Amino acid sequence: MDVLRIVIDVLIAVGAIFALAGTIGLLKMPDTFSRMQASTCISTMGVIGVAIGALLYAIFIMNSASTAIKIAVIALLVITINPIGAHAIAKGAYRAGIRPDKPMETDDYGRDLEDE
Amino acid sequence: MQKTRFPAVLSTFVICFAFWVLLTWSFETQELIAGAVVSLAAALFAARFFIHEKSFRLVHPRRFFSLLVYVFVFLGELIKANLDMARRCFGGCKDVKPGIVKVPVDLPDGYAQAMLANSITLTPGTITMDIAEEDGKSYYYIHWIDVSETDREKAGEVIKGRMEKWIGRIWK
Amino acid sequence: MTDMLIFSIGFACLAVINLYRLVKGPTGADRMVAADSVDILLCCAMVLFSLYSGRGVYLDIAIISALLGIIDTMLVGRYLQGRRK
Repeated sequence: MDVLRIVIDVLIAVGAIFALAGTIGLLKMPDTFSRMQASTCISTMGVIGVAIGALLYAIFIMNSASTAIKIAVIALLVITINPIGAHAIAKGAYRAGIRPDKPMETDDYGRDLEDE
Repeated sequence: MQKTRFPAVLSTFVICFAFWVLLTWSFETQELIAGAVVSLAAALFAARFFIHEKSFRLVHPRRFFSLLVYVFVFLGELIKANLDMARRCFGGCKDVKPGIVKVPVDLPDGYAQAMLANSITLTPGTITMDIAEEDGKSYYYIHWIDVSETDREKAGEVIKGRMEKWIGRIWK
Repeated sequence: MTDMLIFSIGFACLAVINLYRLVKGPTGADRMVAADSVDILLCCAMVLFSLYSGRGVYLDIAIISALLGIIDTMLVGRYLQGRRK
């Protein structure tokens, strides 16, 4: 039982560390699109770590099937639907005229939008 | 707007009813009947936005096995990209070289293209911004935080990795 | 038991730190990304707090808040796309 508790704590701590990395990136990255990239860390590895840890806790310590299923549904929903929002925000930000301060390495999208 | 067909309604109904049972988690007759009525109404209304054709395509042993393998391939890519991103963030957010590259895809099916675009968006470091069609070929515009290749084919190999091959096997 | 409470408070603190970007962010897209992150972090905090307290209500609230936050993000994204043709 003690080993299980340690495994659960380690999994949730890994999720928390990746969420901390995403938060630092969101605060310190230089431009809008890079901040968007950093915030993806929170919604993938943070959610996966917390969900697996909480799933083990609900199955083996609480012995409650409905809790485990609700946690699995939350993780699945967040992971499958979140990229749609990220994609919409990225495209919208570019089309609304937001550009980084430093020029980008390559910018194929802007070149093709000019041609239209 | 395409016409609603019976298999599309049926598959939407199955998904809605499965979610009802999972979320309520009670097997009394009254609750099951109420769930069936509500999911039938939701399916009749929403099937035309949700599924257009080939509704029961994943119910096939080879495709389902490919889906299971793909989950693990994707988790591997996800963990690798996450470690890279966390290293950048903890290292002071200075070594970034952002840029937008145009990458060709050769997946014929609409579902497969959407799935690959979502997988690329989910891995930290790359976000799919748009899909364009030019002379029969599809291209993604991908915002990439560390542009190491500006050539289209090579950048595509670095970004997509093994994911494209397995998605092609799922939707073949 | 107590470790779940500690982790839950930690995730809530991360959400509060993200509020800085939500208040300051120079453009609307920055604010929306920060709001999405706050939403997901609070969802994680609610899952962990429900494990601590043993009540299932927090899980239902977490599902609804995650869904509504994603719909918000999509709406703002579509609005920004349509502003300039």
